[in-house]
Amino acid sequence: MENLDERFEKYLGEFQPRRPRALPEPAIHRQVWPRCLAAAAAITIALGAWLWSVRQKPAGQEARNVTSNRPVVSEQQRPRRPLSIVVLTHLAVENPAGLDAALVAAQKNRLPRFDRKDSALRILGKE
Amino acid sequence: MGDKKLSAAEVRHLYDQHGPALVAYARSFVTDAAAAEDVVHQVFLRLLSPEVEMPDVPVAYVYRAVRNAALNTRRNGQRDTPLDPQLGVFKHRGGNIEAALTLEKALEELPEEQREVVVMRIWSGLTLEEAAAATGAPLNTVASRYRYALDKLREKLRPYRKE
Repeated sequence: MENLDERFEKYLGEFQPRRPRALPEPAIHRQVWPRCLAAAAAITIALGAWLWSVRQKPAGQEARNVTSNRPVVSEQQRPRRPLSIVVLTHLAVENPAGLDAALVAAQKNRLPRFDRKDSALRILGKE
Repeated sequence: MGDKKLSAAEVRHLYDQHGPALVAYARSFVTDAAAAEDVVHQVFLRLLSPEVEMPDVPVAYVYRAVRNAALNTRRNGQRDTPLDPQLGVFKHRGGNIEAALTLEKALEELPEEQREVVVMRIWSGLTLEEAAAATGAPLNTVASRYRYALDKLREKLRPYRKE
């Protein structure tokens, strides 16, 4: 009986079921593609956001500095730059009235010198 | 019994090793060989997706999966007539087309449990112990099913055999 079964098994082995078509390779790639696409989209969005923030920063930061960091200083408290010979000469040539105004304004912020021998204060002091 | 993920290479190996037998197995649930091939293909494509986890006995899993997919195909209104009635699942080495079609018909007429065991044993190359593990039935039961199946097939194929 066993021998009979074995022979029949061998006979059945002569029949081969058809081989199904090969599994398509792109089935794997198809799963990878959406991930790549999503990653590329995420990178693009992140880059865009970064560029946008970089472009926005200078204007915003400047405004913040003006409003918060710098103390409010009045025009009179702000230290004035000393009038140089060049500026005074230029004003004398071009705008005499302007020279007078600049000298008047400078007077308010500068004490006359008294450390020189010929200074007006020293002479007045001796008298 | 821990589930694990099979690599694409392992799935392909499983397909090469058991694909033809699974087509023969699926054929008894659906109208024709082409539909059976589609069912097997569909199951293995799903196995290639990363979220599917495989139990310890992959062969048992794929047989169950093919059976369920074939039954779904049948339930969801597959075509009633075969596309090509001459396109059988089996090919006889000696070119006996009639014997091949008779075998296909004889397998279809077997009870499902017997058909499953005979396909696993003859065309998937499993031992009866492995078939028992795959089906979850006791070895003696599987051996009996196999013996009954062989007797019926032998009877049907007698006219084509040279004793």
